[in-house]
Amino acid sequence: MNNTTGTTEIIGATEAAEAAEAAGTTGAKALISLDVNPCKMCMPMGVVTAAYGIEGNMVVLHGSQGCATYIRRHMATHYNEPIDIASSALTEQGTVYGGAKNLERALDNFIRLYNPFAITVATTCLAETIGEDVNGILDSWREAHPQTTVQMIPVISPGYGGTQFEGHFAFLAALLKNVEMNSAPTGRVNIVCGPMSPADVRWLKQLVCQLGIDAIIVPDCSQALDGQHTEVYSRVHEGGTRIADVLQMAGSKHTIEIAKYLPEKLSPGALLKREYNVPYTRLNLPVGLRDIDALVNALKPFATLANVEHAELKLERGRYLDAMIDSHKYNALGRAVVFGEPDFVYSVARMCAEQGIMPVLVATASKCPALYADLEAELAPLAESMLVEKWRVIDEADFATIEELSVSLGANVLIGSSDARRIAKALDIPLVRAAFPIHDHMGGQRVRTIGYEGSQALIDRITNALIDQCEGSFREKLKAKYLVQPDTAFAVETTSRCLSNPDASLPVRTARQYLSDSVKRLCKHPTHEHPCFSKRCATKSTRIHLPVAPKCNITCNYCLRKYDCPNESRPGVSSVVLSPPQALKRYLDFKQQTGKVAIVGIAGPGDALANFDNTKETLRLIREVDKDVGFCLSTNGLLLARYAHTLAELEVSHVTVTMNAIDPAIGARICPWVSLDNLVYTGEAAAAVLLANQIEGIKALVSLGIIVKVNTVYIKGVNDAHVESVAQMAHRLGASVQNLMRMVSVKGSVFENYPQVDKPTLLEARVACSKHLSQMRHCRQCRADAAGLLGKDLLVRSLAERRTVVFQ
Amino acid sequence: MIPSTSSLIPQKKAKSASQTVLDKYSAKVYKKRKTHMLMVDHTAPAPQEIEANVRTIPGLLTHRGCCYAGCKGVVLGPLKDALLLVHGPIGCSFYTWGTRRHKARPRKDEKNFVPYCFSTDMQEGDIVFGGEKKLRTAIDEAMAIFKPETIFICSTCPVGLIGDDIAAIAAEAEEKYGIICTSFSCEGYKGVSQSAGHHIANNQLIKSVIGTGDSVPITKLSINILGEYNIGGDGWEIGRVLGRIGYETVCVLTGDGAVADIRNAHLAELNIVQCHRSINYIAEMMQAQYGIPWLKVNFIGVSATIKSLRDMAAYFVEKTGDDSILQRTEEVIADELVEIQEELDYYKQRLSGKTAFLYVGGSRSHHYQKIMRDFGMSAVLAGYEFAHRDDYEGREVIADIKVDADSKNIENLTLEPVEGKYHLHLSEAAVAKLKTTVDDFGYYGGMMKEMENGSVVVDDLNHFETEEFIKMLEPDVFFSGIKDKFVVQKGGVLSRQLHSYDYSGPYAGFKGAVNFGRDVSMGIYTPAWKLVVPPWKRQPFLSGTIGDA
Repeated sequence: MNNTTGTTEIIGATEAAEAAEAAGTTGAKALISLDVNPCKMCMPMGVVTAAYGIEGNMVVLHGSQGCATYIRRHMATHYNEPIDIASSALTEQGTVYGGAKNLERALDNFIRLYNPFAITVATTCLAETIGEDVNGILDSWREAHPQTTVQMIPVISPGYGGTQFEGHFAFLAALLKNVEMNSAPTGRVNIVCGPMSPADVRWLKQLVCQLGIDAIIVPDCSQALDGQHTEVYSRVHEGGTRIADVLQMAGSKHTIEIAKYLPEKLSPGALLKREYNVPYTRLNLPVGLRDIDALVNALKPFATLANVEHAELKLERGRYLDAMIDSHKYNALGRAVVFGEPDFVYSVARMCAEQGIMPVLVATASKCPALYADLEAELAPLAESMLVEKWRVIDEADFATIEELSVSLGANVLIGSSDARRIAKALDIPLVRAAFPIHDHMGGQRVRTIGYEGSQALIDRITNALIDQCEGSFREKLKAKYLVQPDTAFAVETTSRCLSNPDASLPVRTARQYLSDSVKRLCKHPTHEHPCFSKRCATKSTRIHLPVAPKCNITCNYCLRKYDCPNESRPGVSSVVLSPPQALKRYLDFKQQTGKVAIVGIAGPGDALANFDNTKETLRLIREVDKDVGFCLSTNGLLLARYAHTLAELEVSHVTVTMNAIDPAIGARICPWVSLDNLVYTGEAAAAVLLANQIEGIKALVSLGIIVKVNTVYIKGVNDAHVESVAQMAHRLGASVQNLMRMVSVKGSVFENYPQVDKPTLLEARVACSKHLSQMRHCRQCRADAAGLLGKDLLVRSLAERRTVVFQ
Repeated sequence: MIPSTSSLIPQKKAKSASQTVLDKYSAKVYKKRKTHMLMVDHTAPAPQEIEANVRTIPGLLTHRGCCYAGCKGVVLGPLKDALLLVHGPIGCSFYTWGTRRHKARPRKDEKNFVPYCFSTDMQEGDIVFGGEKKLRTAIDEAMAIFKPETIFICSTCPVGLIGDDIAAIAAEAEEKYGIICTSFSCEGYKGVSQSAGHHIANNQLIKSVIGTGDSVPITKLSINILGEYNIGGDGWEIGRVLGRIGYETVCVLTGDGAVADIRNAHLAELNIVQCHRSINYIAEMMQAQYGIPWLKVNFIGVSATIKSLRDMAAYFVEKTGDDSILQRTEEVIADELVEIQEELDYYKQRLSGKTAFLYVGGSRSHHYQKIMRDFGMSAVLAGYEFAHRDDYEGREVIADIKVDADSKNIENLTLEPVEGKYHLHLSEAAVAKLKTTVDDFGYYGGMMKEMENGSVVVDDLNHFETEEFIKMLEPDVFFSGIKDKFVVQKGGVLSRQLHSYDYSGPYAGFKGAVNFGRDVSMGIYTPAWKLVVPPWKRQPFLSGTIGDA
């Protein structure tokens, strides 16, 4: 959430994030304290999942019962299996006097009913915060139960200690530490797995079988978490690595550890090497051709079956390669977001890269600072060959950050868990569900990603998502989502454009081209009477701003609509807010006072269109009593496409649109927050939504014959080098004039300390912009309740009663 | 009305079932669990008593959740315009993100935070050095980006232990931003189940939200709907029917609800209470502070819905002296019935004679018995996860409930009438008169009175007991939640989830009743059941053990 800041403290955070970004590393999540839509779970979740891969091993969570309940609920939804986790059910009393008694009773009761072969006792936030000594409790429990044969596996796993990824390995480390190992040589091979689906582990088992390797695969959840229908229900789950095999790991001749980002201190391979001198190899998750080959090659030296050079494997590999060739042309369009656990995102990103799918965003929620450097060599050349300018690799991510970057990086497919379904829906980007948790679809336990066939299946799903999207006119859908549609059946001619690239091939149009006769009639009030549009009449024509629009739907960093000061004159300031009937009265009072009024303008103090009911009613009331006065309004443009036709019907002749940037990256630094139809967008997504609607809105106005002025606030160090591009774009859209304004530094606004531009610089910029669009040079930056001649405001008599208004 | 003995309940088996289950326990556990089970016997000389709302026995697979789940997940979760900020490590924040199907539809320009999950994601350092600073900046960040008018801070286990003063931080934020910012100390270890969290949420809403608004209802038929969480759109169906009759809903607590509306709750004429367990505190406290009476309703099932609508009308007739509301109620009922009668009859014919287990939270196990009876079905076993004795036996037992250490830890507010805001809505005489015809006026009779003789009641039914009772009582359907369903479903018995409706719903009101009939029929008659046979029909149910070392 870059640049979405409101206080000075957080600006520091943004800068830190930017610095980190400039250094080419992590730190995408600029919000330091707030996680918005988490992309991770807690350690005990990982412990339980891994523990299910050991035969006859059940879990007791030492903490409040909610931990067990939540984890059971989430695992049951994904795996569609009964998930049996006991709890020591600590209550307030336990937090004061310690939970030993509860844990001991839990073990007694659990064993009596379930009689598991092993029990994993995992701690939680609560147990660790009160400093429970689980080893000590288990020792005294064993003393009291000398005859017990239950294997105890205590794991330290506070929820705040890491994610489910770390929890998985914390269990494995504890398993090897607590099982009494037997180092008698067996000639077997250990395969230590990171988090994998049951279907993936089944492939691994089949692979070692094909090669004739006597392997100890740990953990093996292939049966326990993807069971078969049986006539007899077993209370203790079946299948999984037997403890009798686990203890033999010390005597194996080699360990293969499939875990790229496993912390060394939790590594079973390292432990077995250190204590029993079993050599080990660390491999990536076997997703994608290279990493699958790496696993097969690492296993081959231990193969006992050389059956025709492993013909079946060769065939599988060949089919995978063939499939890659078949789908390459669709894949080249892919701009993927890969999110989830570090090992998953690393290998899936590499697989995508192999296929020519550009992972524009690789995001993990774990702390994984090495991820960027590890993927850079892979992704940088691909980006270059795919003409992708921007891509990111981030750790400690939340889904709010992922969503924002998905928009700004132009993603068109999401790969990971089902938790991105909200993003998929909001952005209309397909989601390929390939990792735990999958809560909204069936078959989470059978999702395949590893091995030749697994990767092939995954790639097919990604390719098909891309094809569907392409065929299903993705761009139209995205546009419908982001662009505000007209509120009447009136058709506004639009051209299809990609959101993230607003500069692309817009047809050049001018106002004249669109001024059909019928439209001309709407435009009763020629520009030469409008004091803003014509310098000649600026000293003659009176205008009145009616402050009927208090609310705003975007946040600009230079703006603060909070304070009223009668001596201050700048946009966004007003002494009062009027209702439409009050506005009418004010208009009539003013007219009586001054004689002739040329223009009625609605200029806030918020946004004229964000308060459209008020704006519409005000103009309607005035038109009822005055057929001649001209109407004008100013807006940020967010709702312009929706209301353009209605504005024409109301006989609005002039509209001013504030357009500060045509690049979402720059726009996000100025306007980091947009609220549209109950959805909030932040950062670059906000800027992109605003920009797309401004463009469509201006085009609609021009086609209706309404004269458009573009206001651009010149902000030193932000958009100063960019204002000419804005002018160029405004011209192409058909705007008539640009008003390049100096920024008024408002105390309390985010930009309060930004420097003011000096006059010569501003004039120079106007000269540059005038190459594209004529410039307004006599702006007085009026208040939202200004009345009179430009720069010579009168106090309308009926407003004797003043009060301070704090706007929303 | 005491229901007669149902021919659908296997009386003999039911009699011995509890005993068989209990026999598997150790003496200590046997003694404790025994008091949580009974067989309904309306001929007993004294009303039957059941133990409830006491500590879970460690090591048994309870399906209960925690205090945080009840507060953050259940009561506060459905509120649209409140930004719920979880102060704690990430897990509990994640686990309540979009997991309950409380539907929300923001009105024009209304903020909707329901699709979001906000967390301070506490790390080890925050536990050691305190998380107050992180919470403060998280609030600043939330204000900068989301600009909520209300922030509710909910704490998870470690927060209460390390002593972060979330109440003070909430007060600071209120002052700084001019919003409502309230803290809920709903650490998971408090109380014995979700129920504690409901109470904490009720207390804070009464203290800091209800009574702060001044938007007076337009009509004389204004109500608050309490304890309706809009699961699968239930609240919308109820709202549709009430709207047709002419009721004005001031606020809903809390399904598709808004803090902006709840602030005006004290200005309504009547509180109707759907889920007694989770919200009865507010009903009682509002009666004490503002004089608003409450009526227990049940909108699950056609007959229950009709009774509730007539009860409501009776109150307003008594209050206003105008019986046009009663006429209007009858018109709407007749009209609604015409539309659905044919479908109801069809499903009744498909479902008659089927039996079920009902094991849901704290009120649904009662509510759903009525709809089942409408369709000719019968509950052979029913139980609650986290109810209190009054939900089983009726409010008359509240005075006799032992106050133990766990319930003492949850603040029990005693409130006085609020000056200027208290109104006596009905005279004492009128109340007495109304009570003779409307038994649910200010009263809840509990589940057991309406159960059939011979049916079994189990409180805090655990995984092991579920499996044992199922094989003895052989129901056609198991109504429960996701954690408890798989053992039963995989054995070949239909399961329907009554917490989430399995992505279906609504089940409330008139149209919801049709949905329920359709879903259960579809489930019972799915061809897949022909391919599998429930275990007890083939061979004895075995509990396997593993061990070869």
